[in-house]
Amino acid sequence: MICLCAAVLLGSSGPSLLAQSPTARIVSAANAFLSTLTEQQRRRVVYAFNDEQQRARWSNFPIGMVPRGGISLKEMSAAQSSAAMALLSAALSKRGFEKVQQIMEGDERNKIAEGSRQDGKGKGGKGGDPGFGKDNYYISMLGQPSETNPWMLQFGGHHLAVNLTISGARGILTPTLTGAQPALYQADGKTVRPLGQESDKAVALLNALDQNQRKQAVLNYRVADLVLGPGADGKTIQPEGLKASNLNEKQQAMLLDLISEWAGIVHETAAAARMAELKADINDTWFAWRGSTNVTEGTNIASYYRIQGPHLVIEYAPQGLGGDPSNHIHTMYRDPTNDYGRKPNSK
Amino acid sequence: MRINPALFSFVILAFPAPSLAHRLDEYLQATTISIEKDRIAVEMRLSPGVAVAPFVLSTIDRNGDGVISAIEEADYVRQLLQDISLTLDGDVLALRLVSKTFARVEDMREGMAEIYLTFFAAVPRQDVTARQLIFENSHQKRIAAYLVNAIVPSDPDIRITAQSRNFQQSSYRLDYSQAGGESQHAWLLALAVLMAVRFGYLWWRRRERRPVSAR
Repeated sequence: MICLCAAVLLGSSGPSLLAQSPTARIVSAANAFLSTLTEQQRRRVVYAFNDEQQRARWSNFPIGMVPRGGISLKEMSAAQSSAAMALLSAALSKRGFEKVQQIMEGDERNKIAEGSRQDGKGKGGKGGDPGFGKDNYYISMLGQPSETNPWMLQFGGHHLAVNLTISGARGILTPTLTGAQPALYQADGKTVRPLGQESDKAVALLNALDQNQRKQAVLNYRVADLVLGPGADGKTIQPEGLKASNLNEKQQAMLLDLISEWAGIVHETAAAARMAELKADINDTWFAWRGSTNVTEGTNIASYYRIQGPHLVIEYAPQGLGGDPSNHIHTMYRDPTNDYGRKPNSK
Repeated sequence: MRINPALFSFVILAFPAPSLAHRLDEYLQATTISIEKDRIAVEMRLSPGVAVAPFVLSTIDRNGDGVISAIEEADYVRQLLQDISLTLDGDVLALRLVSKTFARVEDMREGMAEIYLTFFAAVPRQDVTARQLIFENSHQKRIAAYLVNAIVPSDPDIRITAQSRNFQQSSYRLDYSQAGGESQHAWLLALAVLMAVRFGYLWWRRRERRPVSAR
């Protein structure tokens, strides 16, 4: 429903909106969203651009455990939440927006599962409410929407933290966290895997490696979680695994295609610029894998992998938290040199 | 650090159902190591899962009053220091605590909070360029999930050449090279002395060749 309203809102703006640059479209959508808010709500949504606390206030945890800034969809009217989703739709690619919605929809299933627990076990969060559900996602902005001055759009909740810095024509999506639990579910008679491509493309790449390449790529130690997850801003770890300079052209293309699952979440113009940057770095990019390589087609891997380059860190970390790790995934997307668009030429 | 088996069994059995989003029955201990010429920084992020948090908390909040006092924090850091070690070229380095942040007991009990600790170790200057660092962690090993990684050095003179770990990441070895050490300084000094001697000799030869009337 929200998706439909977002599409209608975007569509209703007609050809004039489509003729705009992506940044102009995002700014228009941001201003349209802000105009639906009360003064009090607007004060809660908009932070100063240099508010470092709010910038880093994101997590994989549900909002009952780690409160977010801004306002939630739950607190909005139908028109406000439609405008919020229209803004997100303008800022992200079609696939990126769909991924976000599938993550949120998955969390709705957590809400239902949590509600059906009779014994009260599994309750968590302050006051006992973990805050699952697709309306428990928050939107906030740092700075005022602008086509010239840098500002930031944040959208997140359980298993989702979109941090998009917009600086002129540039859209910098790092750091962004995506996750899924369940990572496989049924909706409208279809199987949904919000992070399915991240799993399938990684397996395809691993299977395309020869024995020697695979030996370099596969780490011989357990990786229990994200290394550079929430709170690990500004760190660059020593890369490990297989250097992509040792891949052939086809394998490099597969690696780039895998990377595009994260780099392509942002709107197409920003994604193209980012992919060009990452393609230029490909020979200095590393691929590391830990865990089983046996995967049933159409399911998710239970293995950890990391892609790291001069301007990139991607981690895919199934969570062994008592359930099926392949059905509970956290992923991280960073640019250690430019998280939050901090690089001088980004401003 | 010794674990009370009865308490450990109790907390594991008390949380049989998989919990949504919570780290469950492990104590995640993520370490990053940053190398500089004269200092090594060890940052530790400790996150007890919801099922083991009561046990971990019992080793921190010793009087069980629901508040981690400064004395209890210091005691816990001492316990931890007994379980970790850092050696460089075979010599044990003393780790000095430089910052600590303990989450609230109630947040840790929910398996969603962390302890952050930063230690510094002074690096003795030695006439070597190839160095080997070993970090070992056996803290709460029955429930631990260890991560350890090196931060890419900001000093261009330091280059990481190899890393290796055991499967659990409780033992980590890091090899690195370091230019600009004592040996390089000594080499530069020797070169400077040689050049000074050479210039002195040339000056003396030139002086000797001049006619006596010109002196």
